[in-house]
Amino acid sequence: MSVLTLRHAPPERLDLSGITPDRLAGLSEAEAARLPVGTSRLGLVLGDCFSLALDGGEELRLAGGSDRLDRVGEALAGGTITVEGDVGQRLGAGMRAGTIRVSGSAGPFAGTGAKGGLIAIAGDAGASAGGAVHGAMGGLDGATLVIGGRAGDRLGDRMRGGLIVAERAGDLAGARMVAGTLVAGTIGDHPGYGMRRGTVLVERHGALLPTFVETGTQDLVFLRLLAKALDALALDAVTLDPRFAALARAPLARRAGDLATLGKGELFTPLG
Amino acid sequence: MTAWVKGQAADADAAITAAADLLRGARAPVIAGLGAEVAALRAAFRLARALGASLDPAASPGLYADLGALAAGGAMTTTPAEAVGRADLVLVLGDGAAGAPILADLAASGPTRGRAAGAPRTLLSLASGQGADYAAGEAGLPAAIGLLRAHAAGRMAGDGPLADLAARLRAALYAVLLYDPAETGALGAEMLNGLARDLNETTRAFALPLSDPHQGRAIAQVAAWTTAQGPRVGFGRGFPEHDPWRFDAARQAAAGEADAALWLASLPCPRPAWLRALPGVALLGAAQGEPVTGGEADVVIAVGVPGESLGGALWHPRRAAIAWHPAAKPGALPSAAAVLGALHARLTPAQGQPVQERSASC
Repeated sequence: MSVLTLRHAPPERLDLSGITPDRLAGLSEAEAARLPVGTSRLGLVLGDCFSLALDGGEELRLAGGSDRLDRVGEALAGGTITVEGDVGQRLGAGMRAGTIRVSGSAGPFAGTGAKGGLIAIAGDAGASAGGAVHGAMGGLDGATLVIGGRAGDRLGDRMRGGLIVAERAGDLAGARMVAGTLVAGTIGDHPGYGMRRGTVLVERHGALLPTFVETGTQDLVFLRLLAKALDALALDAVTLDPRFAALARAPLARRAGDLATLGKGELFTPLG
Repeated sequence: MTAWVKGQAADADAAITAAADLLRGARAPVIAGLGAEVAALRAAFRLARALGASLDPAASPGLYADLGALAAGGAMTTTPAEAVGRADLVLVLGDGAAGAPILADLAASGPTRGRAAGAPRTLLSLASGQGADYAAGEAGLPAAIGLLRAHAAGRMAGDGPLADLAARLRAALYAVLLYDPAETGALGAEMLNGLARDLNETTRAFALPLSDPHQGRAIAQVAAWTTAQGPRVGFGRGFPEHDPWRFDAARQAAAGEADAALWLASLPCPRPAWLRALPGVALLGAAQGEPVTGGEADVVIAVGVPGESLGGALWHPRRAAIAWHPAAKPGALPSAAAVLGALHARLTPAQGQPVQERSASC
């Protein structure tokens, strides 16, 4: 396992988008230490902030974190990145495969545009986790994003595919959703604003939009498949509570929306 | 020139030197406010490039609500002149738009051009405030816009008040949806443009966003022609990076990332609290009733006010374009562009290397 040890709190935001196991594989420690990570005109390189111990393998551990570490695991194509601490914005942005585990919390836009692989955040996530950045066509796009703590507002904003599981989330979860599945414990007001398609399954929610309409109780094959997928995920992601799979098996009320737009999305909540 | 350093009156050269010293060593300076004429905005972008600074207009909240909607789903907008000339139905959405100056003109005239020419004009309002024709309801304006859109597109049935309003929009020949993007937010603005799009399946309807009072629309154009991106841009790595979250000046100040600020406001522009917490330079227009005192920042330089003491290119809300505003009463204070130019010259050696630029996405 390769280890990057954060020596001190970063003096500025760092861009770690090029720091993935496959990119480090062919480099000596001296070469890797010269990779640019700074975002100011001072031109910080990896070695300015981290001590490096590389073995060329598929596992990379960041010992020490900070909310200034942006784009950790961006475009990851395989292997594992483990962060002991917090990360900044766009964790795992556009990743295609592999696993990213964060023991602390993440900034906004975690998993934006991620097409495959697993992102597991033990702590909280900022706004628009699994959501789209300004002007992007979509948020999470096929990957799996698990948040053990509270996600901010607009969880899964404009997500196009994949699965998000979060313990709690703020307002407007699943806003502008295009496709995919979002499972959460308690979420805030107005879930699914502008949602076109996709599925939101929650234990509790705040105020609902007037453009979601009840469609009764249905026994859907999809929910059984989702429960199995959540069972399998619970084995993979240590942060996932098994009660989410139980939620998918419980009797559920279904609402369709957002009728302001296409209206092919659905919001499931426990009956009663 | 009227200038102050640490609250004490100083001459021009001393103030420029103090400002250059303050900004020279900063790791992540921010250039904020940007309530100024186009020449000053252009000088601010050049200075930001030289300093490795980021830019954030005071107009950002409303501006980015509209830019976010535009980037996400496009916009069907019209201009104030077209609205006055063609609209037979004007729907004013929200409390912020209810005081728009254009409403007096719209109320006093009727459509004279296009398919609704000669028809009477109806003004309606959808807002939370007392006296609105249609109540936005407890769920708020964005939710009401969504409900209105659901009815207008025929995806929801029923005979509630918003169903009635949707029927009136569908029956109009040229409807205009007047709104303040700072009030609707990005999601509400996107939904409103979607409503306009849905209505255009059978008739004509257009969104008309109110322009903010802090030159946001002009800044968006200057930013677009300078960097091909929105105005929240950082030059820390030598090329323009657009990131509306990262380069939010208030966020950078709160997170301890920004370590110096240059506040540019040749036009009246409310100064945020975070500004006083950073070492700062302020270029302030001495407007009527709002004198510059010198205590606003570590270094303060009074500059001419465009359209008052000097001529300048400013956003013209009624023309929805940048237009020249001649000096009403020419004064002696220098332009903000001239001060920024002098600051730039002090900060960069004459034989500086040309900046290598490459593309960057948001």
